[in-house]
Amino acid sequence: MLKRIMSKDSQMRAAINQKLIEMGERERLKELLRAKLVECGWKDQLKAHCKDVIREKGLEHVTVEDLVTEVTPKGRALVPDSVKKELLQRIRAFLAQHATL
Amino acid sequence: LASQPAWTGSALRDLNSPAGCPHVNGFKVDNWKQNLRVIYQCFVWSGSAETRKRKAKSCICHMCGAHLNRLHSCLYCVFFACFAKKHIHEHAKSKRHNLAIDLLYGGIYCFMCQDYIYDKEMEQIAKEEQRKAWKMLHGFYSTWEPTKRELELLRHNPKRRRITSNCTIGLRGLINLGNTCFMNCIVQALTHTPLLRDFFLSDRHKCEMQSNSCLVCEMSQLFQEFYSGHRSPHIPFRLLHLVWTHARHLAGYEQQDAHEFLIAALDVLHRHCKDDNGKKANNPNHCNCIIDQIFTGGLQSDVTCQACHGVSTTIDPFWDISLDLPGSSTPFWPLSPGGDGSALNGESHTTGATTLTDCLRRFTRPEHLGSSAKIKCSGCHSYQESTKQLTMKKLPIVACFHLKRFEHSAKLRRKITTYVSFPLELDMTPFMASSKESRMNGQYQQTVDPFNNDNKYSLFAVVNHQGTLESGHYTTFIRQHKDQWFKCDDAIITKASIKDVLDSEGYLLFYHKQFLEYE
Repeated sequence: MLKRIMSKDSQMRAAINQKLIEMGERERLKELLRAKLVECGWKDQLKAHCKDVIREKGLEHVTVEDLVTEVTPKGRALVPDSVKKELLQRIRAFLAQHATL
Repeated sequence: LASQPAWTGSALRDLNSPAGCPHVNGFKVDNWKQNLRVIYQCFVWSGSAETRKRKAKSCICHMCGAHLNRLHSCLYCVFFACFAKKHIHEHAKSKRHNLAIDLLYGGIYCFMCQDYIYDKEMEQIAKEEQRKAWKMLHGFYSTWEPTKRELELLRHNPKRRRITSNCTIGLRGLINLGNTCFMNCIVQALTHTPLLRDFFLSDRHKCEMQSNSCLVCEMSQLFQEFYSGHRSPHIPFRLLHLVWTHARHLAGYEQQDAHEFLIAALDVLHRHCKDDNGKKANNPNHCNCIIDQIFTGGLQSDVTCQACHGVSTTIDPFWDISLDLPGSSTPFWPLSPGGDGSALNGESHTTGATTLTDCLRRFTRPEHLGSSAKIKCSGCHSYQESTKQLTMKKLPIVACFHLKRFEHSAKLRRKITTYVSFPLELDMTPFMASSKESRMNGQYQQTVDPFNNDNKYSLFAVVNHQGTLESGHYTTFIRQHKDQWFKCDDAIITKASIKDVLDSEGYLLFYHKQFLEYE
């Protein structure tokens, strides 16, 4: 049985996400983001940080969870504002085009 | 472009082969391979429109409805749940379904091992499904993986060169062999053309020429020399000899025109490249050699009959655009520079200097051909006055602009030294054939689509000529590591500032497309 406990806000988010996936736009945005994050050096910075975490925890013992927990906050913080802006613009443009939402 | 998903490559524990875990054996029964494929196709990497629709609708947490939070799917039953909120963990525990798949990256999580595991067979399936979906969605395949032969080569050649932002690989001076700066300056521009460099450094030229006189082979050698890491200047005597052999009009020790050398070199390279493509390479309309792929654009010429307004269109290939400058003896030069095109390209108009965009505007403006140059109109079946307009139909990956500074008319021979300001970034949209409509209505300002990057270019090389028509010298500015510029003056390479480059007179301007489409 499906239990939905969602606020109106998250309902809207879910609807937008659905549309993005259906139209293949989500994949395109992911690609755009990937390219931007490589360009601005974010990927290299995070890679270095991952290596540090692995060294710290020891190669034999580290799990993917460890990396996710350690690296996620830093990764989120290091995304340049310009990249966020550009993606937001892109999503807005997409929504404007598909206004039936 | 795609980054490595978390599951590929060797597991962190076992560096020689994927670890896997014993707990997958419970899963690997009956038709498990096909089932796994279906899961990948429907919920992880959805390629087709209908799988995407299904994914969009059904991929939400069965406990809280969220679509984020690292959604996972149980491998034993139809159950989606968040990882971050441990909903999938609850399911795994209560149902004893110990395997789940990460819907974002496709990794397989084992709740017994409490980590992502890398089973060889499952990884293989994942890789294949990802490639399939990518091909459908983006039309090209994803990450490069080395072949057995390539791995062998990498192991036998352990020396690695690290490209840092301050390394000088790719920079090398060229000895002047007697007024050969006209050749040296072009060699510097070509060896720093990214796509050309990539082509030659990845050994893509397979020569079928019998003699030793293949210019493409020589270029290949040249690239090896430039990127070898040697810092002493290179002596291009073999190149010079080949040029004399294949382009007789450039032979001799007199100073030649660098632009002429560029065109001659591209022409010989194009002719010698036929070996890389086998059939049809010599047909100018069908050649797909590296020279054509990089340098060839299409110039559209529209001749409009003034009587019936019928338009006759032809498209001709081009390797460069030659632009007239103010002060030359060609007429109809608009005296007032400026206009929206220049604002678009960020050129400075501080002193009313002519800009590259001005030149391009002039090049693509409709020109009345006059009563002494009537053309036969196929619509009117008679000779009529007409206007002619040139626009870009197809943009090359590398656009070379030739500022016509050398005037060789019947009356005089002189060099036009007028400063022409050119930008670092150039948008060619206003000069495209597709933009003609709005231009004809007087609109110059294009509503620039910020997401259409097809016509955006970046400057990467500038060839300058100092001196007079009789005795002059060529040098080149080239771009390295995105924002570093260097001046190449025969054997001497010095660091230059962006200001040095943009303040220079400019004779040949090389621009590279910023975004490349896959074919």
